[in-house]
Amino acid sequence: MANALGMYRTVKRLGIPDSNIILMLADDVSCNPRNKFPASVYAQPGRHLDLYGDNIEVDYRGYEVTVENFIRVLTGRMEPSVPRSKRLLTDDRSNIFVYMTGHGGNEFLKFQDNEEISAFDIADAFEQMYQKKRYNEILFMIDTCQANTMYSKLYSPNILATGSSEKGQNSYSHSSDNDIGVAVIDAFTHYILEFMEGINKTSQMSMDDLIKSWDVSKIGSNPGVRSDLFNRPLYNTRITDFFGGVAQVEVESPNSFHEEFVVCNEADSIEKESVQVNRTIPTSSPTSMFHHVWLYAKARKHLRTWAALVIIGSLVGWVGFVKR
Amino acid sequence: MWNIRYFLLVGLCVPTLAAIESFFEELSLRNLNDGKVASRFSFTTRLEGVSPRDPRTLGFDDEAQHYRVFPLALGQILREYGVSELHLTLNAGRWDYDRWGYPEEKGVGTGAELWAWMGDGAPMSIDNRWKGLRNALAGLFCASLGSMDELRTTAPSQAFPPEGRLPSVDLPHQLRHASLPSEHVCTENLTPFLKLLPCKSLSGIASLLNPHRLFDADWHGMGVHVLWGEEEGVEVRLAFQSVMDPLRYSLSMSRDWSFQSLFSRVINKTCPVAVSSRVTVALPQQDAIEIKPNPSIEGEAAFFDVATVAKPLNVGMHWQHNFQYPLGEPIPLTPLSVQRTLKGSSQDRGQLSLVIINHETTTVYARYLETMPWLVQFHLHTLQAQVKGITSGNIISNFTYVPAVPHSRPTTFEAMLSLPPRSTIHLTMDVTKAFLRYTEHQPDAQRGWDLPPAVITPVEPLNSRMYTAGLLVDLATPDFSMPYNVIIFTCSLMAFIFGSIFNLLTRKFVVVRLD
Repeated sequence: MANALGMYRTVKRLGIPDSNIILMLADDVSCNPRNKFPASVYAQPGRHLDLYGDNIEVDYRGYEVTVENFIRVLTGRMEPSVPRSKRLLTDDRSNIFVYMTGHGGNEFLKFQDNEEISAFDIADAFEQMYQKKRYNEILFMIDTCQANTMYSKLYSPNILATGSSEKGQNSYSHSSDNDIGVAVIDAFTHYILEFMEGINKTSQMSMDDLIKSWDVSKIGSNPGVRSDLFNRPLYNTRITDFFGGVAQVEVESPNSFHEEFVVCNEADSIEKESVQVNRTIPTSSPTSMFHHVWLYAKARKHLRTWAALVIIGSLVGWVGFVKR
Repeated sequence: MWNIRYFLLVGLCVPTLAAIESFFEELSLRNLNDGKVASRFSFTTRLEGVSPRDPRTLGFDDEAQHYRVFPLALGQILREYGVSELHLTLNAGRWDYDRWGYPEEKGVGTGAELWAWMGDGAPMSIDNRWKGLRNALAGLFCASLGSMDELRTTAPSQAFPPEGRLPSVDLPHQLRHASLPSEHVCTENLTPFLKLLPCKSLSGIASLLNPHRLFDADWHGMGVHVLWGEEEGVEVRLAFQSVMDPLRYSLSMSRDWSFQSLFSRVINKTCPVAVSSRVTVALPQQDAIEIKPNPSIEGEAAFFDVATVAKPLNVGMHWQHNFQYPLGEPIPLTPLSVQRTLKGSSQDRGQLSLVIINHETTTVYARYLETMPWLVQFHLHTLQAQVKGITSGNIISNFTYVPAVPHSRPTTFEAMLSLPPRSTIHLTMDVTKAFLRYTEHQPDAQRGWDLPPAVITPVEPLNSRMYTAGLLVDLATPDFSMPYNVIIFTCSLMAFIFGSIFNLLTRKFVVVRLD
């Protein structure tokens, strides 16, 4: 649970609003009477950082966290009365980050200790999303035993996938809290979050830097990366492309005034938080002395959308249980 | 000419004038007999001169709504589904009526409870609107209210009368009620609750709502109530109740409490849009106490007007004497004590038992309501009422019964009970536990199913309601890995039989000479 909440906190800190995050938690450890620290979840035995915080929003919880609901969220096949907060309202300009954790094995991940999602289900759901133009790029991250098998079946373009352990390997927990009596976070997620603590919204770090920071001896398993479907080099892919909502404001000098039109892309109207600003060709006649402040998206692509981001913490078992 | 212009101007202005909105907040605290402290936050927003949307207009575009302090997110849902009255509660724990008396907010049933009155006559059926309302509230309050489907929805006729007025008498209104006893309450429910308040949790009384302390309370619950009255207009009341235990944190059995000790927060600022903002502390009668800062005292309660008192406001009560647990049984504070159990160890059948004690010296009349999912089916002919071991025929009267339909409809059972003075009444009824389909089981099937609380509504005092504790029923659960075993066994057997016969039929066995 602390795995998913840690990711939730990180993406929220990097500027993605709650309305663009879909958080699924199968357990209610935070307000469970057996939790010694009510309404708090800690990822460290030192308990200096409460991941549950004061303003969390959980979109799917308890028995609602099922494989069916997860696939419905991805593919967008919902009943009309399902509220916006439970939908993934993305389009072909949206970057999506999917994080999953729980008990798993070779090509499956368990939900609620009751049912499983297979690597094929995820691959087919992503393909359906691609055909329906529901994403621009996906970062798929999974922390479970034999996690790398979960992305082995993906076949849709523009997906970057990472996992915590190879086929046949366990994924280990990192630290345990003696007051609660359980392990609280897993090693792979712990070291990612530790790295992410050094990242802020303006960070220029790339996914390559993140991957290079993984130390197999510390994590205890071999994390894997699959980038053959992804058509950008990883050193050119910023971490904030997936983890952060970034809008930059730049002040142009008065001499190089550009005639500018801000064109909001109407196709994206379903994501009200996304920054979609298009730039027209600047004319070079310096006719005015006004400062023009304009928003621009900083990627190589002509357009950048910070749209939706999904954290899927499917939680089976208690916090950071040592997976087998 | 000027006159015409003037009238035109007035005519244009009148429809765009925003309704008069007012916001009141109140915190009331009282000490309970067992040393605990009950607190109740109440935030009321009124939209005067406005009535709920006429359901007959649901097919058309709604007129524009402009709110300043009224919660927009909730207002939109109410208009969208044409809801006249709505009550949603999310509680954790069991309210102890004997020790704590009646709660200030009546809805204290364990888990989630939602009921709404809606006018008929809309192009959409009431059940479809009810479904939409459930889903919309589930999204708004981060709760699993979407699971309150037709398996849990009932329409009891007596126990939940409208608490406000229902508009337009010419339209028949209908009630929908559902409860979800397994629902838990946590910070994710409080977050949207605070977002509906005009001052959020930044100032005023709401700044005391600290999740880390509230969810540590012995009992806590939140509620959203929407009413309509002809003078008041549409009223939204957001309430949070809790029962906290100062003795738990005290080393010396001291009942002293303060905002700081209960909520780990104090009031630093006034909510500027609040018309009134006050803290009420009920004064205990027997013991000597001291309240800080100096309150204004009216009758048996001390008042603080948050707008005028010095900030930061940290109301505290100091008791002269330490707490001593009362010897013997405490005197119950409610006229009735109710206990409900499900007896029988078998996974097939059982007995529902309700024990009601009437402490009064007069006969008490009360309505008894059971809304039971089809998981437990009643055998109504076995319903018996006993007083002192003797079956009595005149205790139950006027009952209505809607039997359950397996896999689709819950049971609704309502009856009028006349409870003789100073006596213990035992009601028993045999029940059958359902045998579920393989796919109908919950992920944690071995834990059992939570059953909703029964509701006892005494005729006197008016509008009181008592919830019993929830129940847990243990249904027959299969060995969930069995289907896989069966499939594997069957497939192996099929392969063996088919393979052998196929070989026998297609192969020819001949002797081959090797030389």
